[in-house]
Amino acid sequence: MSAMVFPAPKPAPAPPPWQQPGAKDSCPAGILMLLAGAALWLLAASLCGLAVSLKFHAPGFLASEGYLTYGRLRAAQNAAFLYGFGVPSAVGLGLWFFCRLGRATVAGPVVVAIGATLWHGAVALGVAAILCGKTTGFDYFEMPVWCARVLMLAFLLLGVCALLTFHQRDPGPLYPSQWFVVGSLFWFPWIFSTAVLVLLVVPERGALQALTAWWYAYNFDNVFLGFTGLASAFYFIPKLIGRPLHSHYLAALAFWTLALFGSCGGIPNGAPLPSWIISLAVVGTVLTAVPLLAVAANFYQTVYKDLNAMDADPALRFTYVGLIFWLIAGAQQIAGALPQVSALTDFTWFGAAQKELFHYGFFALTVFGALYYIVPRLLGLENSAWRPKLLKIHFYSSFLGVLICYVALLVTGLEQGILLASPGNSFTDVLRRTMFPLRMSTLGDLLVAGGACIFLLNLAGVLSKACCRCRAERKERA
Amino acid sequence: MNSGPTIFLGLFATMACSWTGFVLAPQLQLGGLAQTNTVVVGDALSQTYPLAQPGEASAGAEVYRANGCASCHTQMVRPGNLGSDLQRGWGLRRSLAEDYLFEPRVLLGSQRVGPDLANFARRSDLKAVLMRLYNPRLIIHDSLMPPHRFLFETRKIGFFPSTNALVLPDKDAPPDGYEVVPRPEARALAAYLLSLRQDGYLFESPPPQSLWPKTNAVPKKAAAK
Repeated sequence: MSAMVFPAPKPAPAPPPWQQPGAKDSCPAGILMLLAGAALWLLAASLCGLAVSLKFHAPGFLASEGYLTYGRLRAAQNAAFLYGFGVPSAVGLGLWFFCRLGRATVAGPVVVAIGATLWHGAVALGVAAILCGKTTGFDYFEMPVWCARVLMLAFLLLGVCALLTFHQRDPGPLYPSQWFVVGSLFWFPWIFSTAVLVLLVVPERGALQALTAWWYAYNFDNVFLGFTGLASAFYFIPKLIGRPLHSHYLAALAFWTLALFGSCGGIPNGAPLPSWIISLAVVGTVLTAVPLLAVAANFYQTVYKDLNAMDADPALRFTYVGLIFWLIAGAQQIAGALPQVSALTDFTWFGAAQKELFHYGFFALTVFGALYYIVPRLLGLENSAWRPKLLKIHFYSSFLGVLICYVALLVTGLEQGILLASPGNSFTDVLRRTMFPLRMSTLGDLLVAGGACIFLLNLAGVLSKACCRCRAERKERA
Repeated sequence: MNSGPTIFLGLFATMACSWTGFVLAPQLQLGGLAQTNTVVVGDALSQTYPLAQPGEASAGAEVYRANGCASCHTQMVRPGNLGSDLQRGWGLRRSLAEDYLFEPRVLLGSQRVGPDLANFARRSDLKAVLMRLYNPRLIIHDSLMPPHRFLFETRKIGFFPSTNALVLPDKDAPPDGYEVVPRPEARALAAYLLSLRQDGYLFESPPPQSLWPKTNAVPKKAAAK
């Protein structure tokens, strides 16, 4: 009865996550190792990319030794980007989102640090092995089998810590970024272990291997990297412009449809496989229009009144541009899956252009945006720790670099596709006629590599500031 | 969407859909694929297809893998309605799953910086392949393919010159008293490339109409018997 007369006061509703003051970031060493290592790998990958691109100007460049030949360097670039930069930054950002949004601290910080060391060490050995000719030969899956095993172990260490961190969260509704991070952290070990098992440990027979490799690559990009980048966009865009996300329902729609359709595809039309598999892939790829539109509508509704807030924060600018690149890359992927288009564009530079945009445009820029926000906070510094001039140069060089590369490769791909359609044009002749736009892409690669280098410089500055402060504090205490 | 287990189960179900469609079901359909017989064309006899690679070619497949050849070359011919692969003479018919049955590692590639190699053996010979590997521009004036000189050895001519030595034009010729010979890797790679042919007509990809018999009457020779 008394409860009816004096109803217990309702607890005040918790402020939405984009308004909550951040939980104190404790013990950032593991996260920092993952993220700083990732930035180093990005530089390595873009330098490899530059060298690969230069080989189109002079095929004899760096060709005297086996370990620098085009095929190996290209595989090393892929491995450095996907496993050196992609996975650690996904796990690092994921851990940080779990801490921040769940107001938790990292579970097992020592294990995270061990996992990060193990991961980066294994990638370094794997890249060296690729250059020595130990690659598996599969696109996106170049690491030799022993290296893949160590990577799996390291990921399990990191993933278990991330899940425990997620489990320690404050009770309350989950924010979309948390779903996306949970999704990416489960997706990677599932596809990776499948690929290791059926490609390397107990190899499938014949064309099935190619099918699994294509499926793995498609899942890695669209679901794993896609989820990570979107988690970052869903967190930073509403937070930094200071408005709530327009709709959680649209976000949920994007999440589930991207998991469902973004995992079916990547098989070239005309592959030597039964046609039902190819049809399934085409249908899945076309249906990724649903998450694409859901995300676009959601963000448009969130930001359309504040489009000029783009300069409010460096993190915001990178994230915006990354998101727009995601939309373009997604639209191009859908177009390229249609049989009428793919008859022209399959196996040309069209696909390489899409991957360039997805990797160095969408994923890398979104991660940069997140790093500009996260790193100072991990170290107890402010945004002002970054040198603004370097930041600006970094933004323009990566943005323009990706854009130049993308447009150049896209033009090359379309031109090649159209020319190759008539059998009268000999293959060599077509290559010769499309040489100019292809060579233009080197300029883009140069800018991307320069951008990665400038980012590292800026990051080193921030780290040294943090070290100085740490030392001063220790002196004061003593 | 607010509890961890719901998200986990949902993700697991979506993953299972994709996994069933692209890993399990294809394995059930194609995992038991076996050697078969080619379709009879004209007077030719039906043959067992595909045949296993010779040993040197298997060693060469390893060289092909190690040097990332698949990053520039595909090994699949698309059907006639997709692209001009068949008209270019890259194959007699489209590639089929059966063609790769005996490849230990199937590297179909995903981009054509260079031409398709599915039927390379049908259009090249040992001497040309080795020259191409040593310096592609000897065969095609402005080829983009990098030279693979690390697969060759320049050595002093011994008592007799080697029969395997490359015959190079003056510009690329080694100094007097020296010769360029392929290392075992180069010979294996060449053997592999010269084993690439997909020329058995199978049930799924029958011969083009021009090769069909003009009528379905019993051939005269057989009728006379």
